[in-house]
Amino acid sequence: MNANIYRHELLARLKSVLIWSLAIAYLILFNFSMFPVFADQAAMMNEFLARYPRELRAAFGLDRMDLSTVSGFYSFIFFFVQLCLAIQASNYGFGLVSVEESELTADFLLSKPVSRSQVLTSKLLAALTSLTITNLVAWACSFTAVLLFRGARAYEPRTLLLLLGSIVIFQLFFLNVGLVISLLVKRVRSVTPYGLGLGFGAYVLNAFSGILGDVKLELITPFKHFDPTYIVQHAAYNTPLLLLNAAVTVISLAASYWLYIRRDIPAVS
Amino acid sequence: MNIFLRELKANLKSLLIWSAIIAVLIMMAVAKFSAFAGDPETLKMLDSMPQVLLDALSMRGFNLTTLSGFYGVMFIYFGLMGAIAAAMWGSDIISKEERDKTVEFSLVLPVSRSKVITAKALAALVNSIAFVLITWAVSLVMVRSYNPDPAFHAFLGLEMRAMFAIELIFLAIGLLLGCAMKQYKRAGSTAVAIILATYFMSIMSGMQEKLDFLKYFTPFKYFDAGELFRSGTMNGTYLLISAAIIVISLAAAYWIYNKRDLYI
Repeated sequence: MNANIYRHELLARLKSVLIWSLAIAYLILFNFSMFPVFADQAAMMNEFLARYPRELRAAFGLDRMDLSTVSGFYSFIFFFVQLCLAIQASNYGFGLVSVEESELTADFLLSKPVSRSQVLTSKLLAALTSLTITNLVAWACSFTAVLLFRGARAYEPRTLLLLLGSIVIFQLFFLNVGLVISLLVKRVRSVTPYGLGLGFGAYVLNAFSGILGDVKLELITPFKHFDPTYIVQHAAYNTPLLLLNAAVTVISLAASYWLYIRRDIPAVS
Repeated sequence: MNIFLRELKANLKSLLIWSAIIAVLIMMAVAKFSAFAGDPETLKMLDSMPQVLLDALSMRGFNLTTLSGFYGVMFIYFGLMGAIAAAMWGSDIISKEERDKTVEFSLVLPVSRSKVITAKALAALVNSIAFVLITWAVSLVMVRSYNPDPAFHAFLGLEMRAMFAIELIFLAIGLLLGCAMKQYKRAGSTAVAIILATYFMSIMSGMQEKLDFLKYFTPFKYFDAGELFRSGTMNGTYLLISAAIIVISLAAAYWIYNKRDLYI
């Protein structure tokens, strides 16, 4: 780990981190402020739904969606927070080392007396720090929003902690998968389309499986691994999927080091 | 003409990737539909669900057991994919010259800056048209086994025109961002911000009556699948708003690009 690279990376990303953090803060606070109004409607809806057979409700995922409770409504918002976090993390992942090549600064960086693995470690730690700042903002805003707007309704701090705790694993997944893809392709010209593709792709895949029934493909998307409705319902993570997610992250990380140390980096001509 | 052809070729790979993604999406979706087709139990349950809930799932007014209803629910995803693709094409096609340090080369060619934009915009437009046509074609092929009736074909046609309109809006916005942003990196990230913000707005405006006014700010609501299904046409007001956004964005794009200082 090299302090100079770390500091430079952190500063370069500071503005982006601020913007993402603000967006997520706004998303949480603004949407949760609607909770008091929404909860009353939702309570009526639940009574109505309770009359239907369990299987039918399950087919539409309705048994898992309870917008009248604090954690139910929060999990609904959390889904959108996840989308933002996914795009942010995959942007950082895709840009982590590819940006040096596209901006023609790679040979400058690599001619420094620092090993490649040190370069990668410093960069990864800087990106992780950036993501953690956003993560902390999400924590702070979530608790503020819940305390401000929950009114007389009770909430289970444990569920909230579980949901927020999943953020860091979720971010690491997109960071590392983005990184390994950027190293697998020959050249990343522009980071945004890739980041958006990975983030939104995973989101749409999950939203799709949410509409109707089951499909095996959903198992590859982290949005399913940390499905907020599942976490709220069971007050626990889906352990096999969590392990799968962590395994993908670790493999991507290892592969990234392996690829980056051996990578042929074009010099500026 | 040379620029146009050059851009078409350069963007072909991107078009192919996007088309493959949407084709997979449609295939997955239709495979799921098979579980619901003509199932009376599902129908009974849908009929008795409260409106608020259907709104939250953006399923209002759709009968999921019919092909048309199913495609109505799918529309938001088509719109989303189209919007992302078009915004990326639009912003990238202009800003990539600065990123790849080729902008000096292309602007010393004996063509005006306006002509460069026109050629590039047309190439992006061709891509967007191709994207809609591919979505349409894949849909038609995939649903063939359900023997769709003429009403479905009409609705699918309407949806695809709406998808094209959404694409046009985001393409124009993307072009404007590519032309206006002083730093090429900002064009892409601003496009992301706009897409995310408008997408969230479209969800919020459906959930809460107080937030209904948001629907004027998000192109995803201009062409709401439920409205399309009920009325069978696109809403004139929204078409006008869309046209205004497109014209203003394009005019601003030309105006700004013609007088801007380039990032070299």
